[in-house]
Amino acid sequence: MRDMTFSEIERLGAAVGEAGEAFSMDEDTFRVFYERTARPVWAYLSRMTGDARLADDLLQETYYRFLRAGSTHENDAHRRNYLFRIATNLVHDHRRKPRADRVELTEGIDAIDTRVDVNVAERTARRLDLARAMERLKPRERDMLWLAYANGSSHQEIADALGLKRASIKLLLFRARKRLANLLREPGT
Amino acid sequence: MIGPRQTRGPRRARLRGGVERSGPAVGSRRQATNVECAREQDIVDAIASGRWPRACDPSLEAHAAACEICRDVVTVAVALREDEFIARHEVSAARLPSAGLVWWRATIRARAEATRVAERPLTVAQGIAGACAVGLACGLAGVAWQSVQRFQRVGEMIAGLDASTLQLASASAVILQRALPLVLGLGACLLIAPLAIYFVLSDD
Repeated sequence: MRDMTFSEIERLGAAVGEAGEAFSMDEDTFRVFYERTARPVWAYLSRMTGDARLADDLLQETYYRFLRAGSTHENDAHRRNYLFRIATNLVHDHRRKPRADRVELTEGIDAIDTRVDVNVAERTARRLDLARAMERLKPRERDMLWLAYANGSSHQEIADALGLKRASIKLLLFRARKRLANLLREPGT
Repeated sequence: MIGPRQTRGPRRARLRGGVERSGPAVGSRRQATNVECAREQDIVDAIASGRWPRACDPSLEAHAAACEICRDVVTVAVALREDEFIARHEVSAARLPSAGLVWWRATIRARAEATRVAERPLTVAQGIAGACAVGLACGLAGVAWQSVQRFQRVGEMIAGLDASTLQLASASAVILQRALPLVLGLGACLLIAPLAIYFVLSDD
């Protein structure tokens, strides 16, 4: 990729204002919304892909698509659900890629060093167990469980984010939770 | 003899083997469809707020120990909450780009995309114009070549005339010989000029 000249940067800088008009919200509103949602979205992307660097890229892509969507939202919760839906779609797109491009969910977790604080070692071990168990679930089950128990989303919010019917969430969540609980209790099964 | 209704009940129950019940069940239908517990949300809230297990209602803890659904909820919710906490800690280590940076990148990209979309018809038009120019030049070159051949035939006819007109014939042949490079040059210009214009414009 070629370097940009000063005139090109100036031109782009001037164009920023024009391009901003095409977005679904103004910059100040976006800043507030971003501060409130970026961390949970990044955590979701990071855990669902198992790749922190990829999560960085997908975070930018999620907000870009959100801004470009141009859709109006009834309230902040609706806006947030829509954001998670975009993030979920991006994660699904990533999963469809050939396996060589993907990393396993357990890959980013550092090996346990028993010399460090016992609590840290235990926590890392638990995280590794969770990542291994999550890896054995279906992608949709993973998304659903994360949204429900890590993100604290309601059934309606999960349905909105995953594009499912609200009525089916209860049963699907029950099954996914049962599987994960069994895997966590007996990691060998 | 066992009727169909009698055999269907247990079979259904086997098919729904994964579905557990919680609390006292009234009938077999309720047993099969009960996939949640009334206190499930209280447990989730207690875990989310960090009150679990020490700072929450002791009856809730006792219930979780007895209820299979709530036991699963505790196992899963505690693990995922802890992982979410770690993930948030990871992201706080200067990983997350600022809102301003994300906004700026998005606007730059939006602008670049808008430019690309706007330029697309122009590029198509330039391509069509280039193709037309090449076609026209080829056509002109063909016409020029035919006229050259016609001039040669005229020259041959003149050469075949009697001596009185021989001087005129030789003069015409000379003219034709001199005109040939001119015609070829004109044809070449017609061929190259549109291409040159196209490439100059497409560089912009």
